[in-house]
Order: sequence, then structure tokens, then C-alpha cells
Amino acid sequence: MQRRDFIKNTCRVCLLGSAGIAAFNLNACSPKVGSALAKPDVKNNKITIPTALFNTNPVQIITPNKYPYEIAVQQINETTYQALLLKCTHYDNQLIPTGKGYNCQLHGSSFDANGQVTKGPAAESLLQLKTTISETDLLIQLI
Amino acid sequence: MKKYGYFIVLFVCFTIVTKAQTRTPAQQLILTNEDSLNAGISKAKTVLSGYGSAFYQRDFNQKTAAVRLERAILFIGHQFNSKITFFSEMELENAKVDGGSGAEIAMEQAFLKFNLSSTKYITAGLFIPRIGLLNENHLPVNFNGVERPLVEQFIIPATWRELGIGFYGRSKKLPLNYSIAVLNGLNASAFVHGNGIREGRFEGKNATANNIAITASIQYYYKDFTFQLSGYMGGTNGLNKRGSDSLGLSSGAFGMPLYLTEANIRYSKNGWNIRALAAYIAFPNAADINKAAANNISNSMYGMYAEVAYNLFQQKSKLANQQLNAFTRFEMFDLNAAIPNNAIYDGTVKQSHVIVGLSYLPIPNVVIKADVRLSNTGAENPSLVINPSPVRLPYQQNNTILNMGIGYSF
Repeated sequence: MQRRDFIKNTCRVCLLGSAGIAAFNLNACSPKVGSALAKPDVKNNKITIPTALFNTNPVQIITPNKYPYEIAVQQINETTYQALLLKCTHYDNQLIPTGKGYNCQLHGSSFDANGQVTKGPAAESLLQLKTTISETDLLIQLI
Repeated sequence: MKKYGYFIVLFVCFTIVTKAQTRTPAQQLILTNEDSLNAGISKAKTVLSGYGSAFYQRDFNQKTAAVRLERAILFIGHQFNSKITFFSEMELENAKVDGGSGAEIAMEQAFLKFNLSSTKYITAGLFIPRIGLLNENHLPVNFNGVERPLVEQFIIPATWRELGIGFYGRSKKLPLNYSIAVLNGLNASAFVHGNGIREGRFEGKNATANNIAITASIQYYYKDFTFQLSGYMGGTNGLNKRGSDSLGLSSGAFGMPLYLTEANIRYSKNGWNIRALAAYIAFPNAADINKAAANNISNSMYGMYAEVAYNLFQQKSKLANQQLNAFTRFEMFDLNAAIPNNAIYDGTVKQSHVIVGLSYLPIPNVVIKADVRLSNTGAENPSLVINPSPVRLPYQQNNTILNMGIGYSF
């Protein structure tokens, strides 16, 4: 196969792949785990997010401003929230939200949506951050 | 007697206190995972961990069996601060290095990671690019079967690491990851017939930098699926122009280019894990390297595999923390899918395999594996059999291999 043919074929595969992804994405417009909708500032090692954020989706990925890790916040019920620090408990690498849980790209550790290990080498569950609710806001205590 | 009792208690207490106080500075930096959780995110710390595997293998054609401590790997990582981290993997293959024994000590990775944000980072050093499934996730607890998938040994030569710089990121609006990296290239004159491009890797040792490579990938998550597409384009001749001209080889950053493209799909739901991968290599200048190095290399190679696995403990709530994965995998590859005029076709490197087995994980970090591999190859080409032994058995195209093994990661 000549270089020109190879590049042509590769481009076709890429176009097909992109079209497939675009098609999938049309069906995935609602916010899912993996879409970051909030970027709050860190004040006194705490972040504040409006609870109204959870009206659209009970799971939100929060990206605190200038903070090295994201936080997955899940609304359990009206007064209870679970905030998971997306830091791999194996080597402290940033985790990738997959829609069903969280993956570490460094050594392949996986965690489910509740932060429990589903695949090693990580052995510890994800760290749950303390949360408190004010009238309209959720306060998350960072480490 | 009572006196002695007091003395022993005092001695034990003294020993514990002394030990606690005499930890070296290096020991004090080493934290357990539990410690690291409580240490905050801005403090320097060092983490030790690793993985390894051992197996028993029976070849029914040859009626031979072998037991190997296949590999033992030590990870050392150091977080300088929340922005800069060092990662390394040092591998000992085959337990003992004593010259000509097939054992080796090698750095599998050694790189610095610079966090740009919570979703973007840069790596620099010796690292494993995102090509295929196994290359990045090669720990024995992360794949079924005692042997790594053969397509990811012969077509994508896991664990393929090179020196370079990589940029990794994740879209904030889509469940999409991407990576791009610039690496040193390959050495086509070291390619070995029947071994794909494996022997042409430098793996961090005296790599030529006249030739370079670019690799990129995208990963997309949709419901229970993960899709990945990756590509590699690299020069395979590191000689300067004068040396290249004398051998009739093209030179430069992408001289004697090699292209690899790979796509894979994973599906995971309710205990089912299904994955499929296809990879293709094009090497248009194979004839030139065959002329210069006489290594019988092909113009193109391909491989693909599909695996279905089910966790038999999925419905058993008492065994929720354990896994017993029954799996079957079909693999096929052809290392001489297209050959130049000056190459010799070899049917033995066109292979298909069916692997059936079990992986038991009592905890996510430990695996006990057993499988049977039924393999089939094309016919042997007599032109490639040089000075055969008088007691050599005829080549058999079918074989059965039994594997049993253990693996760990922590």
C-alpha cells in the first residue's frame, strides 16, 4: 500500500469514526457524568455550588477553579449529597468519568459510581468529601 | 518471673518507640495509600507499589512444560507538589538476569507529569503511549488469559514505550479523552521476521532522534460502551543522510515511514465484558530495508481479536467483592499480509487462536487464571527452513496450549 492510499484510508476511517461519535452525541445531549457544568472558586478550602444545579441531573462533575482534581457530586435525596474526590487512591492520578464510574488511565484502576474499587491496582475507595447544605447552596470541604 | 515480664514489656515498648523515631528521611516520605489520602494534595510524597505474574504452560505438540516468574515490576512515584509528579516502573523479566538467559531488567516507564489543570496534563520522559487496550493497562488483573492477547504482542508490541512528550486531555463538555505525543522513532533494521515491529523499539535505550514519531488517540464513552481510535506515524531510519544514501534508504524525521492504526470497542454491563480490537500496520518501504538488512519484512500486517467475558459471581450478593470471569477470545493476525518482491512469504505467521478460560479475583488486586489456547497457523514455507536438524519433527499447524497463572498488583 502506498503512503497516499494509506492516508486516504485512514482519513476515511477517521471520518466514519467522527460521524459515529457525532451520531451518538445527538442522543447524549442531557448532562451526564463527564460534563463539567460548574467551576466554583475555592475559598477557605471550601467550594459552594447551588443545589439548583442538580435539578437537571443528580450527578454533576465539579471543577473547582485552580484545584488539581475534579469532584463528582451525586444528589442522593433532597438533603443528602455524596461528593467524591476524583483522585485515584493508588497513585493520586486524576480520574476520568466514564458515565458508569471513574477510570484511572495510569494503571487501569476503576471505581464505580459510589467510589468503590471495581478493578485494581487501587485498593481503597475514593475519598468522600464532607458536605453541608445551606438554604440554596451545597458546601463541600476540600482537603 | 514477674520482674522478667516487666522487663520484656519495657523492652518491646522501647523497641517500638525507637523504631518509630529512627525512620530514615526516605522512609518517612513513603506513605501507605491510607496515609496519602490524609496527607493533603500539596505535600511531597513518595509511593511504592507494583505488579507481577507467574505461570505454568504446557505445549501439547512438543510435550513440554515450563514454569516462569514472568515479571515482577516495582513502581516508584513521587509527587513533588500538586502540579508535578514522577512515575516509574522498573521491570525484572524472568526472575534472574545472568547473561543470555532471556531475562531482562528494564525501565518500563520513567516520566514526569505536569498537571495543567484537572483535565489536562503533559508527560515527558519514557512513557507508554495510548495505542491499543493493553499497552496502557497491562497489569495482569486488567486482562483475561494468562498470556496477553497475541495481537497486542505481535501487531501492537505491548508494552511499547519510547522517549518523548505527550499531551493528554479530556473534554469538559463531552465524555471524550484525547492524547497526542511526539516520540523517538523505530529502527527498521532491527525488525525481526515473525516478530512484527517489536524488536525495532528503542524502549529508552540509545534511541536515534533523527527520526521521530507522532501518535494520537481519542476515546469516547457512551453509556456502557467505550470507543477508542489511535494512530501512529513514525520514521524508522535514524541514520544520517550520508549513511542512508549509502544503503538506499530514505532519511529524515519521517524517513522510511511506518503507519499503525488501531480501533477498539469495549462494552461492560451487568457482569458482561465484551471487547474487540483491530490494528493495521503499513510499511511501504519494506523492500528497501530487506535490501539493506535482509530481514524479510512485510509491507503490511494486521490483527484483530474479540473477547466475551461474564462474571459468574455477578448475581451472588455474598460474593460481590469477588469475580470469577469466564471468557472466550478469538484472535487472528497476519504478519505478512502484503510482502514486497524481495520478501519470502511465511505461512506460520498467519495465525488464529481461540482461548477459553477463567480468571478468579478474590480481591480486585489478585488474580488466579487458567486457560486453554487452541492455535492454528498457515503452512510452513520450506524456503525458510535452513539447515534443519535431522531429528526435527514436521511442522504442525495446530497446537493446544494449557496455561495456569497468578498475578497481582498493588
